[in-house]
Amino acid sequence: MDVLNPLAFWFALLAIPIVLLYLLRLQRREQLVSSTLLWRRAALDREANALWQRLQRNLLLFLQLATLAFLIFALARPYINAPDAASQQIVVLLDTSASMQATDVRPSRFEAARAQVSALIEALGAGDRMTLIAVDEAPRALVTLTNDKPQLRDTLRALRPTLGAANWSAAIALAKAIGSGDRETTTFVVSDGAGAADLTLLPGPVRFIPVGESSDNLAITTLALRRTRDGLAALVRLTNHGLRDEEALVVVEAEAALIDARTLAVAAGKSTEWTVSDIPPDARWVRARIDKARYNLLAADDAAYAVNGSNITRRALLITRGNLFLEQALAALPNLRVARATTPPTNAERYDLYVLDNMSATLPAGANALLIGAQGVFTPVAIFSDTAYARVAPHPIARDLDWRTVSVRDAYRLAAPDWLQPVVEGQGGPLVLAGESPDGALGRLVVLSFDLRRSDLPLQIAFPILIANSVAWLAPPGGLDIPLSVRPGAVVALPAGARVTLPSGEAITTGAQGFAQTDQLGIYTFEAGQAQGAFAVNFANIAESRIAPNPDLALSRPNLLPAAEARAAQREFWHALAALALALLVAEWWVYQRGLPALGRRSSARRPA
Amino acid sequence: MLSESLLQSLRLLRLSAPRKRAGSYTGERRSTRRGRSVEFADYRNYTPGDDPRRVDWNIYARLERPYIRLFEDEEDLTVHLLLDDSPSMFWQAEEGAGLAQKWLCAAQLAAALGYVALASGDRVVVETSRGQRFGPRRGAASAALLITFIERLSLEPRHRPRAALNAWLARCARDARPGLAILISDMLDEEGASEGIAALASKGLTVNLLHTLSPDELAPSLAGDLQLKDVETGSAQDVSLDAGVLAAYHRQLSTWRAQLATEVQRFGGRYVLVNTALPPEAIVLRDLRREGWLT
Repeated sequence: MDVLNPLAFWFALLAIPIVLLYLLRLQRREQLVSSTLLWRRAALDREANALWQRLQRNLLLFLQLATLAFLIFALARPYINAPDAASQQIVVLLDTSASMQATDVRPSRFEAARAQVSALIEALGAGDRMTLIAVDEAPRALVTLTNDKPQLRDTLRALRPTLGAANWSAAIALAKAIGSGDRETTTFVVSDGAGAADLTLLPGPVRFIPVGESSDNLAITTLALRRTRDGLAALVRLTNHGLRDEEALVVVEAEAALIDARTLAVAAGKSTEWTVSDIPPDARWVRARIDKARYNLLAADDAAYAVNGSNITRRALLITRGNLFLEQALAALPNLRVARATTPPTNAERYDLYVLDNMSATLPAGANALLIGAQGVFTPVAIFSDTAYARVAPHPIARDLDWRTVSVRDAYRLAAPDWLQPVVEGQGGPLVLAGESPDGALGRLVVLSFDLRRSDLPLQIAFPILIANSVAWLAPPGGLDIPLSVRPGAVVALPAGARVTLPSGEAITTGAQGFAQTDQLGIYTFEAGQAQGAFAVNFANIAESRIAPNPDLALSRPNLLPAAEARAAQREFWHALAALALALLVAEWWVYQRGLPALGRRSSARRPA
Repeated sequence: MLSESLLQSLRLLRLSAPRKRAGSYTGERRSTRRGRSVEFADYRNYTPGDDPRRVDWNIYARLERPYIRLFEDEEDLTVHLLLDDSPSMFWQAEEGAGLAQKWLCAAQLAAALGYVALASGDRVVVETSRGQRFGPRRGAASAALLITFIERLSLEPRHRPRAALNAWLARCARDARPGLAILISDMLDEEGASEGIAALASKGLTVNLLHTLSPDELAPSLAGDLQLKDVETGSAQDVSLDAGVLAAYHRQLSTWRAQLATEVQRFGGRYVLVNTALPPEAIVLRDLRREGWLT
């Protein structure tokens, strides 16, 4: 405790006149008596047994001096260094990522963090302003620069941990934006430190309040389905993120029917894989979950879901004069039934995908097609051979595509519409184009502007990748381009009006923005017009499964202050002292007017004229 | 000084004689009231020089040893009226004209008792603490002189150097004759009076104490923060008066009175407290008769 205005203690000299006045007032009236003999004895008698009464006699003086003392103390503006308080503007980054659900701290890390933030809110001074940022996949400022404690409390109470990872870089950007005012900002980071990013980017002093103690966690990190000759097989990978060897009972279920259960031993920091076969091929989805484990502190990653996409078959029509590479590449793709023709189709049968290998054909409206060579739909206008130094643009069909070793002797410049975007572009012109017809006359198109026989592409590893990517993009399973597994919080591009059933059983009709309520783990089924299907929301986040707390985060930055050595704020409390002084003054007046019971007779005589 | 009716009543009274003490009276002195000296008191062995007329011949015939018969001494009683006229006796709570009620009362009591003694033929000596002395005188004829003496005491300058009680009483004891001493005083002396009383008793005097205290001393009506000043010694005492202090005063007053009574009664004397606010008639005719001082 210290004072801001020590000069006020000079007012203590006022005590001298008070005492002087009191002594003057106490000057006794002289009274002649026959003898002081008995009075002296009486005085001795009284002083011997009544020290308290002597004090009581001076009660008024004591009260006056105490009032003065409190007033002076209030004028001196004392303050205490409030612990856990911050400077005038504070930004709290509260980790709401999935690892905060770990239960190594009772009841959970998040509740412990919430308690810490709650303490910060209560420690807010009159002029302090707080910003509360929840750090999850999409960090957002819940409350900005406010002193409204009830609002802060309510916001904090409503906050829940998410299933996503913490996006620290976005959170730091947000904190920087808010903290860039003219006042100094102290940033509090309340987190387990798991997955925390570079806090050096934060301006001003930063305090890290760590939560979490243990890293014991098991997770199902992979559940993959594969079609075999006998049916379906599932690959389950169990990962131990903890520091001790562990074994767990893992259960695999297909549409709620138990398929297999096995106790898997997994060493610390390692993974164990288990292949489960004999899953009925018509099972729509499979779940693997950890049924029993000793050291497993995070529940969210204990189950994984996989939707069986293998029984969704797409049909493709390959029109070619014969191309072994292309036929092989297409035949290797799962869930694709390829019909081969040498002439354009005349019947009305509709295919999910048309592949035109240097053939021209009239495609039905809305058809998806892979066009190879110059004889396709668009007219060639020129031939170019500057095909080296190709540039690959980001596109779904270019995923994992390595074009560097591909050589193309010559290619056609095509009269292609604008909606066809070059995906692979050589010096002379585009080599691969892709796009979706906006008017519906055609569907999605992928165009290779060169003849495969004039290139070594079919001999390169890029070829099956390009074909597979193209087929997946052109003819997605189920007719809708819906992934089989998404992460929590991801938006699924379902068409408007699709009806989605959540894992909880609740049914939701999607709007124009797609389906975004993917905050539950499990299987979602949907119906969109004729199409129907399912997708799984999986935790699948190794960074968040690694719940090992990182209390040493504080050391990664020079001005990152440990929580205990916080720069404390000065809390003045002169209001309380002034109130006390007033109360004493009232008490003094009361004693003066009424007197204490023992002072009854004297109070009248004491009153100065 | 004393009303005629009071004097009338007093004429009928006598002071109670002090108790007899063995060996005190040998009958050697000539009695003034010869006819009454026939009361047998005791025997004692004959010693050479004794009056042979006093030998009891009947006892000598029976025991063949001479015994002297002792008779009660019928000598007259000497009454010492010891009147305290120290400044404290002239004190009154409210300063005002005229004599303090306390002194008036004490003087009237002295006059009344002196009158009783003179009227019943006792010898009377009056001594004051400031050294004034009256007597010894005997006979009702001296009553007027006594009253004049006491009246003139009031005219003495008030603030003469005070004499300590002990010293005064010891001085009185020096030329006192055995008999009765009546001490009229407020006894307000730091050192008390026990030595003086003992000195008087050793001279064969029975000391009766008339303890005269004014109402302001018995129940002070003071209030506030006071500096009390002793009228005799001038010493000061700071007192903040409240219920507690007054209670302590009353406690000390009764302790002190009991102490004085014990001191007097140790030598066979009597103690009577006098509230000087009461009229002397009431004190003499009621209180002193009830206490057996007057018969």
